[in-house]
Amino acid sequence: MDLLGLADNLISGVLLGGILALAALGLSIALGVMRLVNLAHGEILVGGAYLGFYLLSITGLDPLLALPLIGLLMALLVYPLHRLLLAPLGAQGPEAPMMTMFGVSIILQNAMLLLFSADTRSIDRPYAATPLQIGALSVPLIYALGFAISVVLIIAVHLLITRTRFGREMRASAADPRAAAAHGVNVRGIHALSFALGAGCAAMGGTLIGIAFSFSPSSGASYLLSGFAIVVLGGLGNIFATLVAGVALGLLQSLGGALFGDGYRELVGLLLFLLVLAVRPQGLLAGRGA
Amino acid sequence: MLRMPMPRKPGRIGAGCPSAWIVAASLACSGLATAAEPEVLIGASIPLSGSLASFGSYEQWGYNTAVNDLNTAGGLMIAGQMHKVRLIVLDDKTDPSVTQSNTETLISREKVVAMLGSCTPALVNAGALVAERHKIPMVTPCDPLMAFKSVRPWKYVWDIFFEESELGSAPFRMLSDLGIQTNHRALVLHDNGPDGQVVGGQIWPEVAAKNQIQIVQNSAFPVDNSQFTSVIGAGKSNGADLVLVDAITPAAIAIRKQLAAAGYRPKLLVMEKGAEPQQFAQALGALADGVLVGGYWDPSFPYPGAAQLAKRFESETHQSSSQHIADTLTAAQVLFDAIAAAGSTDPEPINAALARTNKIYVTGPVKFDAQHASALPIVLMQWQKGRALVVWPKNRANGTLLFPLP
Repeated sequence: MDLLGLADNLISGVLLGGILALAALGLSIALGVMRLVNLAHGEILVGGAYLGFYLLSITGLDPLLALPLIGLLMALLVYPLHRLLLAPLGAQGPEAPMMTMFGVSIILQNAMLLLFSADTRSIDRPYAATPLQIGALSVPLIYALGFAISVVLIIAVHLLITRTRFGREMRASAADPRAAAAHGVNVRGIHALSFALGAGCAAMGGTLIGIAFSFSPSSGASYLLSGFAIVVLGGLGNIFATLVAGVALGLLQSLGGALFGDGYRELVGLLLFLLVLAVRPQGLLAGRGA
Repeated sequence: MLRMPMPRKPGRIGAGCPSAWIVAASLACSGLATAAEPEVLIGASIPLSGSLASFGSYEQWGYNTAVNDLNTAGGLMIAGQMHKVRLIVLDDKTDPSVTQSNTETLISREKVVAMLGSCTPALVNAGALVAERHKIPMVTPCDPLMAFKSVRPWKYVWDIFFEESELGSAPFRMLSDLGIQTNHRALVLHDNGPDGQVVGGQIWPEVAAKNQIQIVQNSAFPVDNSQFTSVIGAGKSNGADLVLVDAITPAAIAIRKQLAAAGYRPKLLVMEKGAEPQQFAQALGALADGVLVGGYWDPSFPYPGAAQLAKRFESETHQSSSQHIADTLTAAQVLFDAIAAAGSTDPEPINAALARTNKIYVTGPVKFDAQHASALPIVLMQWQKGRALVVWPKNRANGTLLFPLP
């Protein structure tokens, strides 16, 4: 591969990393605020891709324009899940909610199989197959669009957490739920809204992935894995660190692909995941602000 | 081995997952025998979920159709009495270890008298080894013959599909036959599954070398890979006119999108395996136009029931037909013919009857060689406006090659 090709490849990796960061944001919020290992995150993400797919095919609404609606719909869909399933397990330690979400993951995957069939789908938009020329460089337009949208959404979530009352209560609930409750914070409600917010972000990320790639009811597992790698790399509850970690993962995966072949992309991500877990388990960027 | 129908315990098969519903549906479709009628149990473990589910849905239809047709005609004559056939279908979730455990369950617990195969070498061979160990006959489609033969000398397993060498050489033979000019540079992408390694890792490089075509890069990747920007970048910077891909459908869709998004437009794009099912064209829309894929059956072929089979599938499912309905139907019919010829449900007579198979089915003539393989001739199909047309060889073509790739 020549230098120009390598540059295309690395920039594509950075842009794709932004999309992966948005997809992982929900996992980070659930872990950071609720200490919940959301094993159904991948299925929620794939659910977002299906929402985008069917909104387009039924209403003709472009999935990029429909992203806020998709996020909202997914948030509304999962909100009762928290109230009915996770909230009652609040006092049972971290294992019970994690295993519950494992069960939810299987149920959601099977529900999607029954509802949508096992067929592989992809959201067919012209911009998903269009190159973006920047001088001599060429990157997929959908990666650039997805990156821009992801950065905007991640900044919006950051502002929500740092500049609003909801965000303050969310941070207080994450730091010390009992103290927050003693000060009048509705911790259970905040957790439910945080869960819904995370699911909304995952759904929007899933829609972007559905446009750029393909998906089926069983696609969620691989995105759950890359989501964990990003969260571990960035550290819990740090919104910007999730973006930086996503970009770093995308870049390193691309570098791995360029050096060793595309088949080694995932391996690079997983090795990085294990390395960070071993050397700095709190995450490379942990403790550097929200 | 023969069984009188007994009330089934609820949730006995695939309880707690949608496959239970699928199985229930397939049992209903396959025409449950009425009380007191003896029945012959046949098992099949096929991918109804996971990345190969698109193939599994066609297989399920093909197998069920063969069973329904047989039962409607009265069933199988065994020991002077007509027997209905009951097919037990389990979902292998596109996981060879599940295929193995399903096959074990079907043979050991359900006591099936014979098995029908799954799809792709990884799944088929996994189940075939279990059937072989139990000395239970299995007839399978959808397992390329070189990958099938390389596993072991088979005694109880029989395969009806194409030879990888035929498939791998087809694009090169088409270029030669049709006098198509390219810059003699090719990019190869293939998954590291058994058939991907054989076609992409061995056959394409060998045939390309014989045809003075330089492979600018040959990239292997895990079956579930979704990002291919590095190898696509290499192909683009080398200006390869030919792109040869062997990958499952999700990867093939991702590759096609990423080729276009990288602004790389090769003149000829072959996507084996992944471009076969209708959902490939549905997912890609106009981007599927011009993509070539090897095939072995089309409703236009001059075999008994070919045109009717496709119409029947389309009227029942409201989907476009696939060649997989034909090879699965054929595999089931070959097995039923062998059981009828054996006049027994014992494995040895059925196996001996399978060895004697020599008949024209909907996919063409079936006659097994010494290695238990019956080869289907290869054609090249091309997606054009949502339809897969046969474009090579000329004597089989029902469409004209779209060249270069739009």
